[in-house]
Amino acid sequence: MIKLLLLSALFSHAAEAPTSLQKDAALFQAKCAKCHTIGRGDRVGPDLKGLSERREKAWIIGFITRTGFYLDNDAEAKKLLAKFNGVRMEDTGLSEAQAAALLSYLDAASKGPVGPEEAPEPEAEDPAAKVRMPAEGRGAWLPGIAAGLVCLALAVGVWQLGFPLSAAVLLVLAAGAGYWSLGGRRHHRLLGDQQGYAPAQPIDYSHATHAGKLKIDCLYCHYGAARSDVAGVPPASVCMGCHNAVRKTAGATEPSAEIAKLVAAWDTRLSSAPAAIEWNRIHDLPDFVHFSHRAHVANDIRCQECHGPVQDMARVRQASSLSMGWCVNCHRQEKSVAPSHWKRTGGPLDCAACHW
Amino acid sequence: MNEEEARTQAAEDAKDGIKRRDFLQLMAGSFAALAAGGCQFKKPAEKIVPALVAPEEGVPGQAAWYATTCGACPAACGALAKVRDGRPIKLEGNPEHPVSRGGLCARGQGSLLDLYDSQRYASPRLSGAATDWDTADLEVIRALERARASGKAVRLLSPAWASPSARAELARLRARFPSLRHVVYDEPSLQASVSAHRLTHGRAALPSYHLEKAKAIVSFDADFLGTWGSPVQFTKDWAARRKPDAKLDLMSWHAQFEARMSPTGANADLRVPVKPSERYGTIVELGRLVAQKTGWSGAVPPSAPTSVSRSILLQTAAALVAERRRAVVLCGATDVAAQAAANWINHMLGAYESIADLERPAAFASGEAGAFDALLAELDRGEVAVLIVRGCNPASDHPRAADFRKAAVKAGLVVSLAGRPDETAKLARVVLPEHHYLESWADHDAYGGVLSLTQPTVSPLRGTRGALETLARWDGRRETDYELIRSHWRSTVFPRQKKARSFETFWEDAVRLGALTIGGGAGKAAFQPSALSTLKAPLPSGSGFEFVAYQGVALGDGRQANNPWLQELPDPVTKTTWGNFASFSPADAKSLGLVEGRVVKLDAGGVSVELPAHVQPGQAPGTVVAALGYGRSGIGVMAGNLPVVKMLPVGFEPASGADVMPLFRAPAVTVTPLPRFERLAKTQTYDHLVDPLMGERRDHVRETVLADFLLNPRAGNPEEVKAHSLWKEHEYTGPKWGMAIDLNSCTGCSACVLSCNLENNVPVVGKSEIAKSRDMHWLRLDRYYSGPPDSADGSPDVSFQPMLCQHCGNAPCETVCPVLATVHSTEGLNMQVYNRCVGTRYCANNCPYKVRRFNWFDYAHADLSANLALNPDVTVRSRGVMEKCSFCVQRIYTAKADAKVEGRVMRDGDVKPACAQSCPSEAIVFGDLNDPKSKVARLAESGRSYRVLSELGVQPSVHYLTKVRNKRV
Repeated sequence: MIKLLLLSALFSHAAEAPTSLQKDAALFQAKCAKCHTIGRGDRVGPDLKGLSERREKAWIIGFITRTGFYLDNDAEAKKLLAKFNGVRMEDTGLSEAQAAALLSYLDAASKGPVGPEEAPEPEAEDPAAKVRMPAEGRGAWLPGIAAGLVCLALAVGVWQLGFPLSAAVLLVLAAGAGYWSLGGRRHHRLLGDQQGYAPAQPIDYSHATHAGKLKIDCLYCHYGAARSDVAGVPPASVCMGCHNAVRKTAGATEPSAEIAKLVAAWDTRLSSAPAAIEWNRIHDLPDFVHFSHRAHVANDIRCQECHGPVQDMARVRQASSLSMGWCVNCHRQEKSVAPSHWKRTGGPLDCAACHW
Repeated sequence: MNEEEARTQAAEDAKDGIKRRDFLQLMAGSFAALAAGGCQFKKPAEKIVPALVAPEEGVPGQAAWYATTCGACPAACGALAKVRDGRPIKLEGNPEHPVSRGGLCARGQGSLLDLYDSQRYASPRLSGAATDWDTADLEVIRALERARASGKAVRLLSPAWASPSARAELARLRARFPSLRHVVYDEPSLQASVSAHRLTHGRAALPSYHLEKAKAIVSFDADFLGTWGSPVQFTKDWAARRKPDAKLDLMSWHAQFEARMSPTGANADLRVPVKPSERYGTIVELGRLVAQKTGWSGAVPPSAPTSVSRSILLQTAAALVAERRRAVVLCGATDVAAQAAANWINHMLGAYESIADLERPAAFASGEAGAFDALLAELDRGEVAVLIVRGCNPASDHPRAADFRKAAVKAGLVVSLAGRPDETAKLARVVLPEHHYLESWADHDAYGGVLSLTQPTVSPLRGTRGALETLARWDGRRETDYELIRSHWRSTVFPRQKKARSFETFWEDAVRLGALTIGGGAGKAAFQPSALSTLKAPLPSGSGFEFVAYQGVALGDGRQANNPWLQELPDPVTKTTWGNFASFSPADAKSLGLVEGRVVKLDAGGVSVELPAHVQPGQAPGTVVAALGYGRSGIGVMAGNLPVVKMLPVGFEPASGADVMPLFRAPAVTVTPLPRFERLAKTQTYDHLVDPLMGERRDHVRETVLADFLLNPRAGNPEEVKAHSLWKEHEYTGPKWGMAIDLNSCTGCSACVLSCNLENNVPVVGKSEIAKSRDMHWLRLDRYYSGPPDSADGSPDVSFQPMLCQHCGNAPCETVCPVLATVHSTEGLNMQVYNRCVGTRYCANNCPYKVRRFNWFDYAHADLSANLALNPDVTVRSRGVMEKCSFCVQRIYTAKADAKVEGRVMRDGDVKPACAQSCPSEAIVFGDLNDPKSKVARLAESGRSYRVLSELGVQPSVHYLTKVRNKRV
């Protein structure tokens, strides 16, 4: 239904559409980009770069418009099916004219960057390298030592004056301050600091596979992050966009047990008691803190700056402490857009920016 | 547990405090929790449970807004419902709605909580027991078939049901059951007006009033800014002419002749106390003076005595005639003669050609006086086989409720469509509960040619069903409300418009906008002077006090009596919460020896009611005034007289008060003071602007008269004295948020108070806490009396002042907080950080405006399902924490994020705090004072602008605009 709407929207605006290339790019995004790239390697399906150099135009158009028939009867298509783990391409529902337009877009896109799909490849650099992970809690150790020494001196003085109990208390304080500044603070944390928390999840989902290997954009699944205060865990329908077809992990011969869990939950969606996938929450701010994902995404803060190198995590862990000091460190540096009569820039440092 | 048991149980619980068994269970539970916790201070693990299928609209965590129509009263204002993750959590006025144009009254806002009322019916009921729909329907259909066979009467009783689809549905049902008649009863004064227009214009209709065209308004007991007719629309129109700086000749003149001190009277330029028995005489006398000046030669209604001085009447008549075609008389009388006399004056003034539109009449009232009495007679004679009651509660909200209760027993079958238990549903054998309006599809005629739509904002929470669907079932069709309304709009409404070519686009537009104008009207209705001579002057009242029952701003007719937000909303004039009272004029109180709280017994030939007394300046001597809607028993914990609800740690007693409906038509009551006292829970205990000890006027409310203001824009508003400061001034490098509040357009309607409650999760504390001045409202509406108390007309001047945190530049609260829980923001906000607050209350003691509120307890909702109405964007405060107005900081940051996501800078008007959004008179303006082009900055610079207690040097961010009275002296 949504696809239909999308298509009809596409065609109803055809008359005043900006350029046909943009229109075709949108078609590619809507229909193909889930499983195919242009020049960024094979994903669920083959890389489509230079497709018309590899195959005949008639064959391509036939395959796009009558996918099911080709997959069942055409020898070339059968070979491809075997190569890509038996994942059948869905019927596209495109007309021959549309398929031809799509092909000419593929040709154009194969030659050079067209639109957002072919944005400069960020692959060359390691995303984690760009990430600034503000350190905190490593404050000056000098005051701790100083406080310890003062306590020690006082303890000695008080002992001499004949107050052994007070002296004992001061001695304990001195010892505590010493321990804290000489390394104890690295082993102990603030109450509620969950840095490193990485609980097992009901489905052993790997961000390393999806975000790292397959390079699926974070916002493709966590679409809420750009539009809402809450990034959100994607609904199963988003997963099933691909996993309707993909049932095995790469290279495996048997269907994946983890994907089967997802499919099992998905299959209950129309039943009277739909199954819920209960993910364990990892990043959890206290209820008196209000954080808006969309405000940060709109300010071009990369996901990894707070969530760490998620693309390398087979199981997600809380990479940052998410403490107030950690937030504020960043707010002191950030720049934000403001009306011309506002003199200041930078992230807000007011209590009420988060606490209300 | 039946009701009796519940009552005994509750009474026992009240006696014991915490019961021993509960205590032991609690202790066992806490030990178990400690053991399980193993003393580890880890965060509790939380789950994230995403949907299987992505919701079609919106993103989790982001609010979606739906245009709909408010169903709290028949006025049917346009509303926007804010839906977060599937739950409606806020209602606001729809600025695009052609009738109400933004703004929503307190009752409309409060109706959100009615949706989450856990006492709503969960299934249809047959003879008091739950049943299924088919069985219940079958019972009704059998009775209808029997009535058809025997030819006995079938009656549908409801208030004006101004729904085109419902009319069509009823017509189909009538074709099947020819003995079906629709009996309509509305608020008595609107009914009287409808009947009077039949008499004087030959058309039984209520004109739609367009007060923005009125330069002179004279109202007789019509509380049109409070509860009469369509108050949001009227306030919007009235306020359009109360902003004196916009244009020189803009200000209207408003006179109010009334018995009680209504919010409308409190806003009038001239207010004259008149007893109800003299109202007709006063109207006719005024009419005669107008007739003289306009050269009226037709018939004249018979006169009756009035004690209003001739000079006041002459002044009023002159003002009306000077503004011919731009003057109107509104009448809230329940007798047809007085209404007809008012029509006569309107005719002479030419109001029917401009302000009072009878060609496109208002649709929220269409019942006529007498229809209900005729139904009672039919019931008494045993002629009614089936009585269907929808949208009203005649066993309680009609003056003849007692008669109805007796007569309804004689009907063959009583069917109620009530969504929650009420007095009528208790009489009914079959209850087919109807949706709350936020769950249903419906359509309304606003007034001729304007249609508005109600769309559901949540799927039905309980086992209820739409009213239209119920009617269709009886006709043997299984169509839903949605299908019925759509098919009616396709066949009837769509062909009447020309803009949209396909029905789908037309329908989608209508749903998206919530309303549409398609034009059309009923044609002219000519005035019939001959009707005037047939009018009969009402009989003089008997000895004793005259009784006046009124609908208050908070509870109205009492249909929302179980709503704690509304119970705790202070009455604008008396500032009383949780209960009604008998109000007396100061002179009568003196002669009877009454002081506030003394319980009096009101006797009217067999019926008596006991209420605590209240002394009201400006009330007409010889009258007793009491509010309707209180003292309903057995319909819910908030409204009834159950002894105690054990939800709060403190005693949380429900509303006291008594049902005064039985006295409604009493010609006179005798008053007997009893030797008892009952404390009124008031939120304001000081009344006069003039200091009683020093005798000088305090100037936190500034006012002037129009004549002076036109000569000098700073009249009544001396320049602020710049105080020397010990503090370094804050520098605001970004925005400096500020507010301007126009005291001239604020009517005291209290919509802002309720809106603030909803938006900011402000708790309800209950009567005993209010009585201890522990009210939690972040925004309070102060009401002050000024002017000589014994002035010629016997009525003090009244002003309303919304008082909220002033977000001082040099805030006294900030300097005394030992833990820096309240600090100043770089944008001029005075921030309250709940998680830092330790509850010393120093800040509240040091606040000169007394706007800080302390959580003495965890004020939980008595009805836990009401928690669903909480706004997830605002922290729910716990015990021991101070709180106060935040200028809706959550909206500021939402607006900032919106701008950022849309890739633009913020614009003036992006941020609208809840109070400003809901204000029907647009008295509250919010914005950036650092932006010289912003609306608020311009108002802050205007001649009327001043800041309360600025002499303290606290640099408040809230600017008030001087009140300008249009006095003709």
